[in-house]
Amino acid sequence: MQEIEFSEFVGLISLLVILLPLFSFLLILAGRKGRGANLALINISISFILSVYLFFFIWNKQPIHYQIPWFLIGDIEFKAGVLLNNLSVLMITLVSGISVLVHIYSRTYMKDDLNIHRYWAYLGLFCFSMLGLVISDNLLLIYLFWELVGFSSFLLIGFWYTRPIASQAAKKAFIMNRIGDIGFLIGIIIIFSQFRTLDITALFGDMGLVKTSLVDKGLWISASRQMPEVWLSIAGLAFFIGAMAKSAQFPLHTWLPDAMEGPTSVSSLIHAATMVAAGVFLIARVYPVFDPFVLNTMVCIGAFTAFMAATIALSQNDIKRILAYSTISQLGFMVMALGIGAYSESIFHLATHAFFKCLLFLAAGSVIHQLHHYRDEHSLDFDNQDIRIMGGLKKGMPITFIGMCLASSALIGLPLSSGYLSKDAILINAFEWAGSRDGIYTMIPYIMVITSWLTVFYISRLVFKVFFSTPKRMSMEQANQIQDAPKQMSYVLVILSFFCLFFAFSFNPFSFESSWLWDGFSSNLFQKVNLYHWLIPLILNIGTAVLIFTAYKIYVKNDGMSISEKNIFHRFFIQEWYLNELYRYLFTVPVEKFSNVCYWFDRNIIDALVLKSVTLISILSAISHWCDRILVDGFVNALGTCAKWIGHFSRNFQTGKLQHYLISMLLVVLSFFILTYFI
Amino acid sequence: MIPLSHFLIISACLFCIGLYAVLTKKNAIQILIGIEFMINAAVLNFVAFGKFDKVNGGGQLFALFAIVLAAAGVAVALAIILNVYKHFKTIDPSKINKLKD
Repeated sequence: MQEIEFSEFVGLISLLVILLPLFSFLLILAGRKGRGANLALINISISFILSVYLFFFIWNKQPIHYQIPWFLIGDIEFKAGVLLNNLSVLMITLVSGISVLVHIYSRTYMKDDLNIHRYWAYLGLFCFSMLGLVISDNLLLIYLFWELVGFSSFLLIGFWYTRPIASQAAKKAFIMNRIGDIGFLIGIIIIFSQFRTLDITALFGDMGLVKTSLVDKGLWISASRQMPEVWLSIAGLAFFIGAMAKSAQFPLHTWLPDAMEGPTSVSSLIHAATMVAAGVFLIARVYPVFDPFVLNTMVCIGAFTAFMAATIALSQNDIKRILAYSTISQLGFMVMALGIGAYSESIFHLATHAFFKCLLFLAAGSVIHQLHHYRDEHSLDFDNQDIRIMGGLKKGMPITFIGMCLASSALIGLPLSSGYLSKDAILINAFEWAGSRDGIYTMIPYIMVITSWLTVFYISRLVFKVFFSTPKRMSMEQANQIQDAPKQMSYVLVILSFFCLFFAFSFNPFSFESSWLWDGFSSNLFQKVNLYHWLIPLILNIGTAVLIFTAYKIYVKNDGMSISEKNIFHRFFIQEWYLNELYRYLFTVPVEKFSNVCYWFDRNIIDALVLKSVTLISILSAISHWCDRILVDGFVNALGTCAKWIGHFSRNFQTGKLQHYLISMLLVVLSFFILTYFI
Repeated sequence: MIPLSHFLIISACLFCIGLYAVLTKKNAIQILIGIEFMINAAVLNFVAFGKFDKVNGGGQLFALFAIVLAAAGVAVALAIILNVYKHFKTIDPSKINKLKD
């Protein structure tokens, strides 16, 4: 009895966590223009405090599953409820925590915007959908929130919708996500037709339906029904496609760099903890459904995405685009880790990445913000997001600089940083996994190592160009005048910097196994190879040191070493592997052509048919008009005329004179007589 | 012995003269005289056919009836004519056209 009351209580608290941002969405939209900052911040803060409370309640304890009946289809009852286990409490804490920081940051960053109330409202909706997504206990609810995340990201990316490029980016993000949504929906449908339930605990729990179902002689058999084995793979792939779109995996990643058209704080929120994490979260939630084939696909796609995005990040010049590709690359790491079965490492990396990527974006945001103000004050003319013209900002912006450096070191995986723990954990697991595979799979860990070296180089390039090198378009003195962002923004950077260091996650800076977070999901699948545990980080970090030094030489010292921007690789990378062009020619152009054909068809065939039928109908109506006038009316008029004539004729008999009546009578009698006797 | 057809011809002539008088005369009295002609034509027929009757004197009896009825009819008609005259100040039927309403 007490058990039930307790879970009801926790369920209500978690409901409050997700509903508070929704309230701020509704209230702010209903409220006055330009208001809502405080309301949004208060709501999300309460939400965060409650999530932390839940976190300490649930973490490493009995998961809580509280549900109520939702609706009935036939004899299958759907239930709605919350499922709080380690994964979901970690995620709500992460999401609401990052959201609070982004809210605080946005108060200053978005201060001058006229439509700020819309911004707060959309943020509320976004947090609501993301929090709802992570605590929902069945696939249908998750799908609902999944769609809401897509929709609210569309609103946020297109926040400056008056700029055509932003509204284009929003549309692109939405459409790309729709492709993934279809995958997710197909997955749900397959799961439902196999198991007749969408409840996550029942399906994917320890002794859940998916785990107890088996594949035998080409059939996928569950307790009650069976279908061909291939449907298991299709279901896995369908879920993976859903995750691919949200988590920006190749080939559905192109929306994410374009999404940089939204406000930087939004990019930070989308990238760090919320939207892109949703895909990884989904994979983690439905993990048992993936069969080896899908897992291998996941490994390949994750590794390829990580590598490709890193190469593109090498060549980009827009500070936010570099970070966007960096996100894609890191998501590739996570997806690859999930594919090899390193479930806990992947979630661990998700958490550490959330903090350092948020910090990277917010630091970049303050650089952009300060440059923007400086440019407006001194009426200069330059692109405030282009790292080629930046430089020398180290002196005037120490907080931003240090924050950026800490976040970068976490991204690189330098010792003592949080990234060192999680990223090297993934790499070590990749090597351990590859040890039991052959063929192309042995290549995977090496690709990941190369990718992480590429990561080192592109992020060093960014840091050195922005903070060290000589600025273009303004003098070094001018650059040194640019100050740190206002306090509210800088404090956020400081808080986030703390989470980029090892002690937020583990007491031992060199062993991910001692991390509390990793422990919470422990799923040690592989034979531990001790050699890897010290050799891989060592080799990685030697390479890292060399690369950072090289980048320093190239971008700061400028002593003869420079990278030509003429070679074919650079062109290939800066064009983002020509994927946008490829999609253009593969999808957009054919669709445009097809729609032109349809347009032509519409104009020339359908319209012509319509016009022809109009002519036909007018001819028909003219004919029927004629018939009506001449035949029908004519008949009626003839009858009338006839009656009138007969009336006139017979009137003549009615003279009123006696003798005329007598004559008439005589004639009638005579005519009867004649008729009777002579005819 | 006078054949029957002679009677019938005479009576037809009488009837036609009476009819002519009824239809053409401009005086109600003369029309009444025409009617008498026609009645008498009928009476003549009664009497002529009475010769071939199985019941003796049946035709003559009906003739007497008809004469009595004709006298009564004339009395009534003359009273009507008097009233018509009182009302219209004329007995010319072509001038009285109030029957049509």
